[in-house]
Amino acid sequence: MKIHNSKKNLFLALAACAALALSACSDDNAAGSADAESDNPNSITMSWPRDIGPMNPHVYNPSQLITQSMIYEPLVSYEEGGEVKPHLAESWTVSEDGREYTFKLREGVKFTDGSSLTSQVVKKNFDAVLANKNSHSWLGVINVLDKIEVVDELTFKMVLTQAYYPALQDLAVVRPVRMLGEAGFPEDGDTSKGITEPVGTGPWVLDEYKTDEYAVFKRNPDYWGESPELEEVTIKIIPDAETRVLAFEKGELDLIYGEGVVSMDSFNYLKETGEYTTDLSDPVATRTMLVNSTSEKLSDLNVRLALHHGFDKQAMVEGITLGLEEKADSILSSNFPYAQEDIEAIEYDVEKAASYLDEAGWKLESGGAIREKDGQPLELELIYDKTDPIQKAMAETLQAEWSAIGVKLNIAGLELTEQIERRKAGNFDLDFWYNYGAPYDPHSMINVVAEDGWGVAEAHSNLPMKTELDEQVREALASTDETKRQELYGTILTTLQEQSVFIPISYMKKTVAYQNNIESFEFPANRDEHPFNDISVSK
Amino acid sequence: MVIYLIKRLFAVVPIILFAIFLMFVLVRLSPVDPAQAYLAASNIHPTEELLAEKRQEFGLDRPLIVQYFQTVADIVRFDFGNSYVTNTPVWQEITTRLPATLQLALSSILVAIIVSVPLGFLSAVYKNSWLDHFSRLLSYLGASIPQFWLGYVLIFFFAVKLDLFPVEGRGTWQHFVLPSITLSLALIAIYTRLLRASVLEELEEAYVLYGRTRGLKEKGIMAKHVLRISISPMLTGLGMNLGKLLTGTIIVEQVFSWPGFGRFFIEAIFNRDIPVIQSYVVLAACLFIVCNLIVDIIQLYLDPRISREGRAQF
Repeated sequence: MKIHNSKKNLFLALAACAALALSACSDDNAAGSADAESDNPNSITMSWPRDIGPMNPHVYNPSQLITQSMIYEPLVSYEEGGEVKPHLAESWTVSEDGREYTFKLREGVKFTDGSSLTSQVVKKNFDAVLANKNSHSWLGVINVLDKIEVVDELTFKMVLTQAYYPALQDLAVVRPVRMLGEAGFPEDGDTSKGITEPVGTGPWVLDEYKTDEYAVFKRNPDYWGESPELEEVTIKIIPDAETRVLAFEKGELDLIYGEGVVSMDSFNYLKETGEYTTDLSDPVATRTMLVNSTSEKLSDLNVRLALHHGFDKQAMVEGITLGLEEKADSILSSNFPYAQEDIEAIEYDVEKAASYLDEAGWKLESGGAIREKDGQPLELELIYDKTDPIQKAMAETLQAEWSAIGVKLNIAGLELTEQIERRKAGNFDLDFWYNYGAPYDPHSMINVVAEDGWGVAEAHSNLPMKTELDEQVREALASTDETKRQELYGTILTTLQEQSVFIPISYMKKTVAYQNNIESFEFPANRDEHPFNDISVSK
Repeated sequence: MVIYLIKRLFAVVPIILFAIFLMFVLVRLSPVDPAQAYLAASNIHPTEELLAEKRQEFGLDRPLIVQYFQTVADIVRFDFGNSYVTNTPVWQEITTRLPATLQLALSSILVAIIVSVPLGFLSAVYKNSWLDHFSRLLSYLGASIPQFWLGYVLIFFFAVKLDLFPVEGRGTWQHFVLPSITLSLALIAIYTRLLRASVLEELEEAYVLYGRTRGLKEKGIMAKHVLRISISPMLTGLGMNLGKLLTGTIIVEQVFSWPGFGRFFIEAIFNRDIPVIQSYVVLAACLFIVCNLIVDIIQLYLDPRISREGRAQF
C-alpha cells in the first residue's frame, strides 16, 4: 500500500510539473503576436527574415540594416544616380587638398531622448567607431579618418590622412557612421559591446519589440524633417520565404520587400494572380564571375575571352532568374555614377569562343569532347556557395554551355566561409562575385581591384597592366578633379572588361509585392535604406 | 527505488561528457573557421589581424586539448559563455527561447496522446473495422509526409483558404493548432501502431481469457488490465521521442515562425556560433537522458512485470 502511494505521489508530482511548465509557457505570451496586428488603419505590416537585433548603429550582425536606417540618420544622404545630398549636415566644404571636410550641422535636430544634435555628439560617435577601427576597415573613409575636431556647437571638421573622394558617399552608409544620441552610449563610451538604448534622430522610434516575433515602430513626433505619412510600421519576423508568401496572401502582411526575400517562383506567382502590385527596383548590384588570371590555364587572355563568349547569358538569366534579374554586359550598371555607356559588350558567340581557344593552342581532337594542349585537358573549377540556389543553377548551366566549346567545368559547392577562404587564398579558377551596390559603388569595387586582402586584386595580379591599373585606381580614389576621375573610371572599367577578369552575368534587383491599399511605394536609392517614408495607405 | 535513481543519475555524467566530446570534435572537423564565420556573418572584411584577434578573443588560438578541458570545466560550472554573434550570455538566449519550444513540444505530445491512445486501442479491439483501416491510413501518412510540407499544406488550407487560424507567430491558442498538428502527426503514426500491436498481443494472453471466464466485465478487463499493460511500449517510445521532439521542432519553428530555440540554433550553425552549438548539444543530451529516466520510472509503476531489482542492475 505504501509503495503504491509513493508511486501515486510521483505521478502526481510529474503531472504537476507538466501543468506548471505549460502554464508558465502560456503566461509569458499573454501579450502575444496577435497584438502586433494593429487596428490603426494608417499602418502597415511587413516581414523580415531575421530578428531586428539590438539596433546598435556602430556594429553589424545581428542588427539589421533596415531597422537601423529607420532609427539612425546619416550626415549626408545618397540619392538617385549617386548624388549626395545634405541630411543631418546642412552644408560642407572640402579643403583644396581634399583632406579636410568642414560640416555645418542642421539646427534644431533633436534625438528621441530630447537632447540636441551637436558637434560633440558627432565626435563622440566617430570616436566610438575609431576605437574599433579594425572592425570597420572595409569602409574607406574610416580607414583614412584621422580625427574629428569640434569647431563650434554646430560645426565640426573631419580630418583625413589622405585625400579620398568617396568620403561623402561613405558617410551615407547605414553602419557604422550614423548618429547615436548621448543617452544611448554606455558609461565608458565604447559602443562595440552594446548600447543602452536605441536613441536616434530618425523618423521612426521603436515602440514595442519581442525578440524573434515582431517589432512595432511609431512615427517620431518630434522629427525635424518631413514626417512620414504612415503612423506605424510593424515588422514581423518570418524566417521562411514560403510562409511569408502565405501570410501575405492571407493579408497578414501588407508588404514583402527586399532582396531574395521570396523565391523567384513565388514572386512571379504573386505577379500573375493580378491581385497585388509587384515591382522590381533598378539594378542594386552585379552578379559577376571572378576569373583567376593567376591560374595557369586562365592566365591566357584568349581562354578568358572564350569563356566570356561561350555561354548564352540572356537565356541563362531568363531561365534561372525568371526574368527577375537583367542580363549584364558591363560590371557597373548605368544607374551608378561613373558607369560607362560605351563599354563594348562581349556577346554570345560560340564560333568566336572556339577560335579563341584554337588560337590559344587548346585543340579538339577528332572524336574528343575536351580540348587538350600538350596532353593536358582544358579542365577548370568553379566554386560556388552551396546554399545559394541561383549560383548552383548557374554553375550547372555553365558546365553544360562550356562543354559545347570543349571546356570541362568541375563545379564545387562550398560553405560561404570556405568559398571566401579559397577566394582569398587564390585557390580557384572561377568564382561568383558581387559588387557592393549603392552607396558603396563604384569606389568600393575598384578599391578591391587594387587592394590585396579580398582575393580580387590577387586574382587579377597576372594582368600585364596590373601596376598601371592599381595606380589608376589609387589616383581615382584620391582625385579631387571630377573630369580626371571620370576618365580614370573609364580606363579602369574598360581594362577589366577587355581583360575579362570579371564576367558580368546579371544585374540583381530588389523585389516588392504589396496589397492594393498601399500607395506611392518607391525603392530607396541607397540599397540598405528602408522604404517607409514614402509609403501611404488608402483609407 | 532511491538507489536505482541515484545510480541512473550517476550514469548521466559519462554520457554528457561523451556528448561534449563528440560535439567538440565535430565542430572542429568542419573546414570552417569560427572566427571567419563570425566576421562573414557580420559583413566585416576578414583581414589576417582581425581574424587573429577574434581567434584569441574566442580562445580558439589555444591548443585543442586546453580548449576541450576549458569547455568541460565551463559547462560543469554552468557557464555556457557568450554567443559570438549577439554577445549575450547563451544561458539568457536559451531561457528566452526555450519556453516557446517546450510549449510547442508539450502541446504536440498532448495531441499525439489524445489521438493515438483511443485510436490505437480501438483499432486493435475492432481489428479490420473501418476505424482500423483509418488508423492504418493515418499512420501511413504520418510516417511518410515530410513535416515542412505538411506545415505548408495546413497553412494553405486552414489559414489562407478557410481563414480559421493564423499563418504564423505565437500568442493565442489558435497559433498552436497548426504547428501542433504538424509536429504530432508523425508521433501519432508511431504510437497508434505501437499501441495497436501491443494490445493485440495482450489480447492473446491467458489472463484475458481467465478474466473472461471469471465473468469480469469486458470493459473492465480492457481498461484495467490490457490497456494498462500494453501502454508500456508506447511510453518507451514517448520517452525516446520527447527529446527528439524538442530537437525536432526546428523545422516546424521555421515554417510557422515560432520564436523557439530551434530557429536560433539553425542560425548558430550557419554562423559557427560555438558557445550556442555546444550549449544546445549539452541541453539536448540532458533532455534525452531525463526523458528516458522519467519513462523508466513510469514504466516501473505501470507494469509490475518489470522488477525494480532487475532494472537496477542495468
